[in-house]
Amino acid sequence: MANFKNTKVYPIIILTIVVLVSVTVLIFLNTLTSPVVEAQKRKEINNQLQNIYSGMTDSELEDEIYYILKEDETIGYAFIAKGNGYGGEITIMVGLDKNLEVKDVSIMSHSETPGLGSRVTEESFTDDFKGLKIENIALNKNGGEIDAISGATISSEAVVSAVREEMKKKIKSIK
Amino acid sequence: MENKIDNCENCDNCVGKQNFGKEFWKEFVKGIILCNPVFVLALGLCPTLAVTGTIDNALGMGAGVIFVLLGSNIIISLMRNIIPDLVRIPVFIVVIATFVTILSLLFEAYIPLLYESLGIYLSLVVVNCIILGRAEVFASKNGMFLSIADALGIGLGFTIALIMISLFREILGTGALSIFGFQLFNIPGLSSNPLGFFVSPPGAFLVIGVLLAVFRWIGVLDNE
Repeated sequence: MANFKNTKVYPIIILTIVVLVSVTVLIFLNTLTSPVVEAQKRKEINNQLQNIYSGMTDSELEDEIYYILKEDETIGYAFIAKGNGYGGEITIMVGLDKNLEVKDVSIMSHSETPGLGSRVTEESFTDDFKGLKIENIALNKNGGEIDAISGATISSEAVVSAVREEMKKKIKSIK
Repeated sequence: MENKIDNCENCDNCVGKQNFGKEFWKEFVKGIILCNPVFVLALGLCPTLAVTGTIDNALGMGAGVIFVLLGSNIIISLMRNIIPDLVRIPVFIVVIATFVTILSLLFEAYIPLLYESLGIYLSLVVVNCIILGRAEVFASKNGMFLSIADALGIGLGFTIALIMISLFREILGTGALSIFGFQLFNIPGLSSNPLGFFVSPPGAFLVIGVLLAVFRWIGVLDNE
């Protein structure tokens, strides 16, 4: 045994065993927790949809578009847009009404600078999107109707372009 | 001061000389004041700066670090005789990373709000030098029970440091204090006009600097 410990393969074997055990434990734990995480995300999405569509009774997911139903009648379409902000990915829930105008947007997650970029989550910013058609979704300086947050142009632009690009794609598949 | 910091490294001279309960207690207590990882050893300052904006984050991070430290100290102290020197650090890192991943999977599944607000700093516990430091200087040289005492003491010391810093930052920076959604108190006048500086990163440097100075001062007095 003392001899074996001095061989060149011994460290390799130990490290391999440690990594294998670690990976096994993590795979096992991941299979346990991932359904919980999924359920939570679904609940979170449902809450967001309820906030946007007050009379909503049900929603159906098809091709990444949530068809919002109110007593079997489609009252809107919602989808998730992702943009690259200043501090990382920004996830945005976008809700459209029947006429494909924006009903509301809400920021689901972000990692922007607190106090500056994080202000994209405030209603004073997200309310600017309400009622806009796709051609008007751009910052003021680019000819659109949305005021950028002062000191957070990158975050504002990230949200605006993510919503616009995703909306372009989704409108095609809705029709 | 120098001698006292050396004592944080291992307990070679005390092993087997005192009775076990005393040793356990000694290793536990040293992490809180004498070898406080933040204020005395000045380790793990990066997460300390990042997550002490609110007391919720400080408590979450503290609990997380205690969990990882405890797990890694136990495993590494049990394996200390079979880990070859050559791959010592990689083995430590794999063990620590495993516990951090377990922690972040559990946080994501069961306390998603805390998971969101700790963000990347939760995964960065892997490179928190307090944990690797304890594995290297303590757990790899001592038995499991002393390593548990060491992990609990150092972890608690880290948590207390985070709480102290976050108390200053949250109270001065927002004029109020709330734990997990319950507002404990609200300072009229300050809450309508808070010193937002303290919530921002420069405020963290200031608070940590002042507290470090105070702990040094106490240490110097203690030595005399």
